[in-house]
Amino acid sequence: MQDAVSAGRRHGERSAPYQPLAFRGALIIAGKESGELLLSKRGLLWLLVMSLVLSGFALLLISNTELGLLENAQVVYDMVGLVTSLGALLTLVVGADAIGGEHERGSLVPLLLAPLPRSALLLGKLGGQLIAWSAMLGIALPYLWAVGSTGQNLAAGIACLIILGTPVVLTFGCLGVALGARLLSARSALTIGLVVLILAASPMILGPGLRRTAIGVAFDWVNPFSAVLNATDAVVIDSEPLLTQTVPFAIALAWMLIALWYARRSISRLTGSPQ
Amino acid sequence: MSVVSIAAAFLLAAGLSAGSAGSSRAEQLKVELIPSSGNPAAPHTGDALAFRAVIRNDGRTPISGVIAWISLLEVDPGKEQPVDLEDWSAQRAASLPGIAPGQTAETEWRLRLIQSGSYRISVIAAAPGDAVDRNFSHVMSPFVAFTVASRPTVETGRMLPIASGVPLVIGAMLLWRSARGRGRPPVSKDAGN
Amino acid sequence: MTGLANGRSEVLVELRSVEAWRGGATILRDVSLTVRAGEIYGLIGPNGAGKTTTLAVVVGLLAPTAGGARTLGLDPLGQAEAVRARTGVMPERGGFYDWMSAFQYLAFFARLYGFDPPLVEIGERLAHVGLSAPPDQPIGTLSHGMRQRLGLARALINDPSLLVLDEPTGGLDPRGRREVHELLLTLSHKCGIGILMSTHILDDAERLCDRIGIIAGGVTVAEGAVPELAKMGRDLEAPEQGGGDRYRLRLADRGMQSASKRLPAGVSVLDGEGDWWTVALASEHPPEMVWRELMSLGWPIREIQRLDSRSTNSNLERLYLELTKHTERQRAA
Repeated sequence: MQDAVSAGRRHGERSAPYQPLAFRGALIIAGKESGELLLSKRGLLWLLVMSLVLSGFALLLISNTELGLLENAQVVYDMVGLVTSLGALLTLVVGADAIGGEHERGSLVPLLLAPLPRSALLLGKLGGQLIAWSAMLGIALPYLWAVGSTGQNLAAGIACLIILGTPVVLTFGCLGVALGARLLSARSALTIGLVVLILAASPMILGPGLRRTAIGVAFDWVNPFSAVLNATDAVVIDSEPLLTQTVPFAIALAWMLIALWYARRSISRLTGSPQ
Repeated sequence: MSVVSIAAAFLLAAGLSAGSAGSSRAEQLKVELIPSSGNPAAPHTGDALAFRAVIRNDGRTPISGVIAWISLLEVDPGKEQPVDLEDWSAQRAASLPGIAPGQTAETEWRLRLIQSGSYRISVIAAAPGDAVDRNFSHVMSPFVAFTVASRPTVETGRMLPIASGVPLVIGAMLLWRSARGRGRPPVSKDAGN
Repeated sequence: MTGLANGRSEVLVELRSVEAWRGGATILRDVSLTVRAGEIYGLIGPNGAGKTTTLAVVVGLLAPTAGGARTLGLDPLGQAEAVRARTGVMPERGGFYDWMSAFQYLAFFARLYGFDPPLVEIGERLAHVGLSAPPDQPIGTLSHGMRQRLGLARALINDPSLLVLDEPTGGLDPRGRREVHELLLTLSHKCGIGILMSTHILDDAERLCDRIGIIAGGVTVAEGAVPELAKMGRDLEAPEQGGGDRYRLRLADRGMQSASKRLPAGVSVLDGEGDWWTVALASEHPPEMVWRELMSLGWPIREIQRLDSRSTNSNLERLYLELTKHTERQRAA
């Protein structure tokens, strides 16, 4: 060990008064999260899997180049739904790992002991999810362009994906963070989160008949996934203006705010050990 | 003139006036469908066509409650059928304000071309009124013809590079990270634990 | 081992009769301790005694349900950010971001603490803890010992006034432990940092600590300077067992059964089985004279092994074992 005396030479030299970091701390953590996604092997593997799913979907279309305009619009609609689902899955995984995974790896406590308010920690983790979603959008855009640029309403469909898809994926990201904070286990958080995600995404696989039943309609009204799908249907297939989709946007935003509140409460109880 | 011929003449006059009253309402209207000058000369699927319908009141009395709607007919041999306008146009019928004698009312129609083929389009106007009118009728504009050419909506030339290129790029980044991690052997305990 | 260093007496940590719950169970029942600037305070106790929970209370991760806790003169919970800004913590279970390099890791935490050191300074900080990894080498490829050092470097990144360390020498080889000892002693006695460390290794506690607190079953059972506690341990020893150094004697044959068992003054037999016997010599008797006297009394001594050269350590161990045996019996039951 070199010069153990100098190990403490700065003690007392750094005499700047303590200043709360809050927002700046959130940015620092978001930067770390994005690095973890974009530069770690695990994160890149996830992005690779996402791109392979989109490629598989896109390759299914190559055999049929004679889609009518409506069929092509339907494909764009399906792809928007697929990207939103994959994005929600990605942010759920990232969210569950944000606290639960860090606890399991032992890296949570040093983070909890940094001079940051818990809200900054949450904002930073959400910032990481936003970057994850942006990466997902960046991957999806070429596919959407290849599928839909010769069809109708592609720009409106992409706008729908961004404006309505973002609150939906952040809803599941916040859910992952909240479950990870309460259970202190990424695996448990992911298990529960996946069940919720499958339930919420069920309108994508339910037929129109089931969606028109009383329960189906009620579920459709409150489901954030349905909000995205219904708005995309209206904008891409029915060519309605995007600005008329205020109700679906309000539903998606409301869910995001609820999930954000739940995540905030869960993180504020963190001590680094099971309670 | 005999009583029978006077009665027949009276009945004929009554019938004529009734027919004139009923048919005169429909005949009051004249409808014309005018394609927009900005429409593409050779439209393809995905394009939009705009039309202007002009409804004129040629009668001597004002007419109100006029409803105008468009009708689209596919005329490709073997596929002749009326077309459901649900996806072609958001606006299917228009209620027009009252039209004074000699005046016109106009309405715009925008049609999105969903499917390729040959079509005839016309606009129909009617003033059904409040009571059941046995002489109720409608007026139809002359047909406007147009043909929609197909456009390949999935271009293989674009799809394949993206479907293969995007995973390849990400896979290359993954390999680079793996190689970076393997490039240096783990530091042994003897080397400064 | 020094006592209070250089007269510094600022109290950095004060726990008074702290009680704390965790996971629905009462972990701490009555824990009290005081850590002053410039001293190293060792917290020792068996597994499950509440050492880590005590440290969690000190750094504001856990709220006590009773009693009082002050860290750096502040409420560790209510003024958590201010406390953490001046505290460095090294948890027992250190996890890192394996995709980062050691440099990136320290830089990340430095920014969290509000400053952005240049690469050169980060390299110096790593060198101070004996970590010589290349700048771009991922942490995932470092050995356990090097990760331990990285954790220490992280705990020091904000030049804290108080260091809280949970098993700081765990997993280190003897050289690594010695280097960490030197660093901690320097930080404490030359730089005036207060250090609160929990450890299982009594040797570390004896070497490093100015004062020690023994915790068992969530209760502080003893606290004081190392020499005081060692004296308490010596006083616990049964008179017939004798004090002083212990030796193991290998006898020539089992004929010892029939030989005289007379013992010279100042010698007591602690244990004996077959050829090997354990004896304790009073400290005032030179060993060489004792062996000559034993042999003259018929003891066929073939080999002598000294068991312990430091009476302090054995006394501390004795005190520790005595004070914690009740807890261990409860656990066994």
